Amino acid sequence: MPREIAVGDALVPGMLLLFVAMLAVLWLLDWAAGRFGLYRHVWHPPLFRVAVFVALFGGLGLLLL
Amino acid sequence: MADTAALSPSPSLRATALQVLREDAAAWLFVLRAAIALYVTGWLAMRFALPQPSTAMLTVVIVMNRQTGLVLAKSFYRAIGTFAGAAVALLMLSLFPQERVLLLLALASWVGLCAGGALLYRNFTSYGFVLAGYTASIVALPSIDAPLGAFDAAVARISEVMLGILVAGVVSDTVFPSRMRDALRRAAYEQFSHFMEFVRGSTGGTIAREAMENAHLRFVREAIALEDLRSAVIFEDADARARSGRLQLFNQRFMAASTSFQSLHHLINRLLRGGRESTARVLISLYRPIAEALQLPAEAGSTARAMLPPLTAARQRIADGAAPKRAQLGDEQHLDFDTGAALLLRFADEVIAYVDIAASLQAPRLVAGSVEKARFARSNDFFGAALAASHTTLTMLALGIFWIYSAWPSGSSAMLIAAIFCALFAAAPNPVRQAGQSMIGWTFGIAASFAVEFFALSQVDGYGLLIAVTLPLFLLAPYLLTRPTLISYGVGYGMGLIYNLALTNAMHYDPVRFLNDAFAQLVGLGCAVVAFAVAPPVAATRWFQRRQIARLRGQVALAAEAPLAGLAYRFESVNRDLLQQIVARTPPGSDASRALLAWALAVHETGRALIELRQAHAADRLQPPGDTRVSAAIDRLARFYERPDARGYLAARDALAAAIAAAQECLPAQPTAGATLTQLHLLRMALLDGESVIAEYMPRAIATASPLENDHAA
Repeated sequence: MPREIAVGDALVPGMLLLFVAMLAVLWLLDWAAGRFGLYRHVWHPPLFRVAVFVALFGGLGLLLL
Repeated sequence: MADTAALSPSPSLRATALQVLREDAAAWLFVLRAAIALYVTGWLAMRFALPQPSTAMLTVVIVMNRQTGLVLAKSFYRAIGTFAGAAVALLMLSLFPQERVLLLLALASWVGLCAGGALLYRNFTSYGFVLAGYTASIVALPSIDAPLGAFDAAVARISEVMLGILVAGVVSDTVFPSRMRDALRRAAYEQFSHFMEFVRGSTGGTIAREAMENAHLRFVREAIALEDLRSAVIFEDADARARSGRLQLFNQRFMAASTSFQSLHHLINRLLRGGRESTARVLISLYRPIAEALQLPAEAGSTARAMLPPLTAARQRIADGAAPKRAQLGDEQHLDFDTGAALLLRFADEVIAYVDIAASLQAPRLVAGSVEKARFARSNDFFGAALAASHTTLTMLALGIFWIYSAWPSGSSAMLIAAIFCALFAAAPNPVRQAGQSMIGWTFGIAASFAVEFFALSQVDGYGLLIAVTLPLFLLAPYLLTRPTLISYGVGYGMGLIYNLALTNAMHYDPVRFLNDAFAQLVGLGCAVVAFAVAPPVAATRWFQRRQIARLRGQVALAAEAPLAGLAYRFESVNRDLLQQIVARTPPGSDASRALLAWALAVHETGRALIELRQAHAADRLQPPGDTRVSAAIDRLARFYERPDARGYLAARDALAAAIAAAQECLPAQPTAGATLTQLHLLRMALLDGESVIAEYMPRAIATASPLENDHAA
C-alpha cells in the first residue's frame, strides 16, 4: 500500500484512508450488533467497540503496510 | 402521596450526606473524564506535530458534556459543521484572495446564514450550523495575510478538530460513561404511566379546563423531551438505534391518543354546561369500560402486553353497548350521542395502538419486520431565520469595517471571537445574559492562563509537569459546567483559559502579544454582547412570540388544506414543536402563556377534527350540494383561525350549520354520511364553546347564553 495517495491532487496518508474505511466498517458491525441484540453478550459494549476498532485498524494496517 | 410523606420520618443526616455525595460523585467523574480527554488530546496533538494543539484541546472543552450521548451527537454534527465551514472558507479565500471587502462581506453573509440555520433547526443540527459558521471564520481570518497557506491551514484545522472529537468521544464513551439510555427508558415509561393514570383518574368524566390545559402542557413537554432524548441516544446505544423507529411511532401514537382524549372531555364538559346532562351521563357510562380496563396498575411491574386483552374487550363492550344506550335517548340527542360515541371509539382504538407499540418496545427481543414510518416533524420559521441571519451579518460587517478603517493589528482576533459568540448564542433564549456571563468567565480564563503561562509554564519542562501546573486551574471549568446556573461562566472560563494558553510544541513567551490578543478577544466578546443588547435576536422578541402564536393558529389551515397522506402525524408533531418553542420563551403562569395555552388547545382540537372530517369525507363524499358545503365550511374555519375576527367567526359558524344541514339531508339516502356528520358536529360544538379562547369573537348574545342553545337553529 502506498504511503500517500493523491486525492484530487492533495496527498493524503494511506493510513488516514484506512482509518476512515475502518470507521465505516465499525459502523456497519455496530449497526448489525444492535439490530440483532448481540451486545447483550458483552460486558462493556463501548470498550468492546473500541477494541474491535483497534483490532481492525491495527490488523489491516500491519497487513497492508 | 402527601400522607405517606407526612408519616415517614424525616430523612436522616447521613442519608442526605450520602445523597449529596452521590450527586457530586457524578459531577467529579465528569471532571475526571474532561481532564483525561483534554490531556490525552494535547499529548497526541503534540506527538503528531500539529501546528496548533490548543485548537484540538479547545474542541475537547467545547464538546465535553456530562451525558455520553450528547458528546457523541455534538461531535457528529461538529464534524459535519467543521468540514462544511472549512470548505466554504477555502472557497471564499480562493475567490477573493486580495479583496478584503468582498472577503469580509462573503464571510459575514456565511456566518449570518449559519446563524439563521441554527434558529431554523433545534438540537444538535442547530449546533452543526453554528460550527459551520465559525469554523469558516477560524480558517479564513488568520489566513487573510497569507492566502497561499489557506489550504494547509484548513487541513491542519480539520485534523485538530477531528482529533479532539475522537478523543472526547472515546473517553466519554469508555471511562465511567454516564448513559442517557436509562433516562430515555425512564422518560418513555413515565410518559406511558402518566397518561394512563390521567385517563384512569378521569372516570367521573369532568375535568376542569385549567387542569386540562396543564395536562396538555405536560403531555407536550413529555412528547418533545422523548424526541430530544431519542435523537441523542441513538448515537450512544446500538440497541436504541435499532428501536428508534418504534420509539418514534410510540411518541406519535401518544400524541394522537392524548388529543382524542382531550376532545372527548371537552365534548362532555360542553354537554354538561349546555344542559344536556342525560347525554353526557350516558357517554360517561359508555366510557367506563376503558377506565376499568386500565385499572391494572402499570407500575406494579406488569407489562403493557398484559393490558392489551382487557382493553380490546373494553372496546368491544363500547361498540356493543352504543346501540342500546342510543335507543334510551330522545331523537334530538342522537347527534350529540353519535359524535361522542365516534370520538370514544377513536380514542379506544388509539389507546390500543399506543399500548400495543409500548408492548413491542418492552419486549426484550426485537420482532422482525419494519414498523410504520412516523417522523417527528418540526416547525420551521423561514422568515424568523432570515431575520436572525441578517442580524448576525450586520454585526460581523460592523466589526469588519472597524477593523479595516482602524488597521488594528489584532482585529482578526476580535472578529473571530465575535463570530464564535454571535453564532453560539444566536438561538439562545437570553443571549445578552449568557454572552455577558461568558465574557466574565473568559476574563477569568485570561487571568488564569496569564498566571500559568508566565509564572509556571516557563519554569517547567515536559508534558507531565505541564499537566501538573495547568490541571488545578483547568479543573474549575468542567466543574462549573456541572452547575446549571454557572454553565455560561464555565464555557467562557474553559475556552478563555485553553485558547490563551495556546500550547504548542515550541512555546512562545511574549507577554505583549498575549495582552494585545487578550484585549482584542474581550473587545470581540463585548461587541457580541452589545450587538445582542442593542438589537436583540429575533427569537427573544415579543414580535416573534406573537408571530409564532399566529403560526400556531395557521396550523388549522394546514389541517384544512395540506395533502391528507401522513397529515395527522405531521399536524400533531409540528403543533407540539411550535407550542414548545413558544412556551420556552414565555414565563410560566403569565398572561401570555395562559393565552397561548388556550389557543393551543383550541387549535389542537379543531385541527384534529378537521383532519378526521376530511378523511371521512374523502372516503365517502356527500351528494351534491352537500360536498361543496362541507368544503366551504372547512375553508371558512381555516380562514377564521388564520385571522380571527367576529365576521370570520360568523361566516365559519354559518358555513358549518349549512354543512350540517346538508349532511342531515343526505343521511336517509346515504347512511354512511354519519361519520362526516359527527365530525361536523364536533367542530361546531368546539366553535360554540363559551369557555374556549375563541369566545371573544362571538356575538354577545351567543357568548353569554349557554353554548348549545343555538345548536340546531340552522
